[in-house]
Amino acid sequence: MATLSIKGVRKSFGSVEVLHNIDLELEDGGFLVLLGPSGCGKSTLLSIIAGLEPSSGGDVVIGERTVNDIHPKDRNIAMVFQSYALYPTMSVRRNIGFGLEMRRVDTSSREDAIGRAADLLQISHLLDRKPGQLSGGQRQRVAMGRAIVRNPDLFLFDEPLSNLDAKLRVEMRTEIKRLHDRLGTSVVYVTHDQVEAMTLGTKVAVMKGGVIQQLADPQTIYEQPANMFVAGFIGSPTMNFLNGTLENQDGKLVLHHGEETLELSGVAKGASAYVGKKVVAGIRPETFSKGAGPSALTGIVDVVEPTGPDTMVVLDVGGQMISARLGSRERPHPGEPMTLSVDTTALNLFDPETGDRI
Amino acid sequence: MAVARSRSKLVLDIGSYVVLIFLAFICIAPIVWTFLTSIKLEEDIVTRNMIYIPTRITFEHYVNLWNQSGYPVLVVNSLITTSVTVLICMLTGTIAAYSFSRFHFRGRTQLMLAYLIVRMFPAVLMIVPLFIVMRQVGLLDSSIGLAIAYTSFLLPLFVWMLKGFFDAAPKELESAARIDGTTRLGAMFRIVIPIARNGLLATAVFVGIAAWNEYLFALMLTTSQGSRTWPVGLQLMVGEFQLPWGMLAAGGIISILPVIVLFAFVQRAMVAGITAGAVKG
Repeated sequence: MATLSIKGVRKSFGSVEVLHNIDLELEDGGFLVLLGPSGCGKSTLLSIIAGLEPSSGGDVVIGERTVNDIHPKDRNIAMVFQSYALYPTMSVRRNIGFGLEMRRVDTSSREDAIGRAADLLQISHLLDRKPGQLSGGQRQRVAMGRAIVRNPDLFLFDEPLSNLDAKLRVEMRTEIKRLHDRLGTSVVYVTHDQVEAMTLGTKVAVMKGGVIQQLADPQTIYEQPANMFVAGFIGSPTMNFLNGTLENQDGKLVLHHGEETLELSGVAKGASAYVGKKVVAGIRPETFSKGAGPSALTGIVDVVEPTGPDTMVVLDVGGQMISARLGSRERPHPGEPMTLSVDTTALNLFDPETGDRI
Repeated sequence: MAVARSRSKLVLDIGSYVVLIFLAFICIAPIVWTFLTSIKLEEDIVTRNMIYIPTRITFEHYVNLWNQSGYPVLVVNSLITTSVTVLICMLTGTIAAYSFSRFHFRGRTQLMLAYLIVRMFPAVLMIVPLFIVMRQVGLLDSSIGLAIAYTSFLLPLFVWMLKGFFDAAPKELESAARIDGTTRLGAMFRIVIPIARNGLLATAVFVGIAAWNEYLFALMLTTSQGSRTWPVGLQLMVGEFQLPWGMLAAGGIISILPVIVLFAFVQRAMVAGITAGAVKG
């Protein structure tokens, strides 16, 4: 187990800078998720931590060691790849034990370690097969077996679940969480799936264009996103952005959106500086409830999508589409008017110019 | 309607088979004719009326060839030259192909193209400079010298073909191996080459067959029986006043035997290797 510090790491390919001054800290035994859309630099950052890609500047520190110039094999890390990267010519047993074989661990200790890892992942019956004879989920387990057998300081996962079908993905996600709880080894996990990030991470770094937009625990990222990108990237359906003007009405802050007026209570203190200016209100779909109130929006029902536990409603409010998650018993009909009240304590305001949270 | 369609399909099938059988006949007939000639009596070969099927089967041409013409030495020379060529290509070409496949160094594309350009010139152009170089370094008329000359035009082929197979091997496997504890070279030998072994075998057989059958360089760069290869030796049997058809045919058949045997052994791996490279590359 070890801590991980990334200090001012940069990476350029020619004149294109893909990582700009990345700073990160991961506590011992923590689970850091690097989350972002394709091309945001998260996999490049992981490769730099692994030593597979040299950085153009900055330091990577694992435990007490600065590992910038240390070969991947000497960093005492283990990595699980998106394509699993199992050696196709070797049996599962040899795949799992390859790292130990390279470190000249004697055969009996190696067999013991392989057996323990296989038992933990319930793949003991597959040890003599070749990777080509395994299903996707089994390959995933073998890849994890290869990672845990060496007892590394740090686990690196590069989108390990993206090649699995939906059901297996959920199972393996639970498996990874269980494994992390049991082994307690620090993990850096790359994904573009926000559900994986929210469920697994103790810390989430949301990245865009080679810059970390926000680094915080999952709940903070969800409830207090640093900017509109993070707010829009996290949550499904995505957060509603309502354009409006902030006013002070009888000592209370209100948001005017067309003919609608939302009374704001519990929003950030800095908001008063924006009185008279345009702002963007970020409203999560689940903060709506049916019925009128001091902060309510009225619109025409556009689409109704029952999902089982919830009913998703798309409402046309003055030309702007708003998604709301309502109870499963709510079944409005498209075309009819509807009023939804908003829990403004969970509402975020953003500066429309910079996109930053107020 | 359905009857008409099945009838037109039948005509098409028959037409296809006729064309394919004709093409196969064009390919196989010379080899069959050479084989039949090699087992005919001398008087059945040169006749007023063509005799297609031997009246009596004889192996005297094979015996004469083996005992009188020094043909075994030619075969051994060819074997040595071919083996050395394949060995040089395997040792240097594998590392070169891996570098071209994995490293993006300055001048990489230009170097790859330069490799190709060598193959675009007619072989005759290279013979004179090669002859002078070989004479200077004392490798003229030696199996090693001839093998080096072959390498000059077979190595580019080897590198280009093998690069395709290396490209098809996922790079993540080497990353995994490097994290597991190998060096880059170790990852190449332990992971990439075992994956690309069919391709390596296919490429080596291609180069081996090309070296085995080569004639022009062997004619120019060898002058004595000590290093001459079988294609040259066979051609030199044609004298001004005699044309030993039976022995020439027997020589031809013996010479293609190793190629056939080699191909029979590795054809499955070769086809697998070639298609893998073609589809994924």
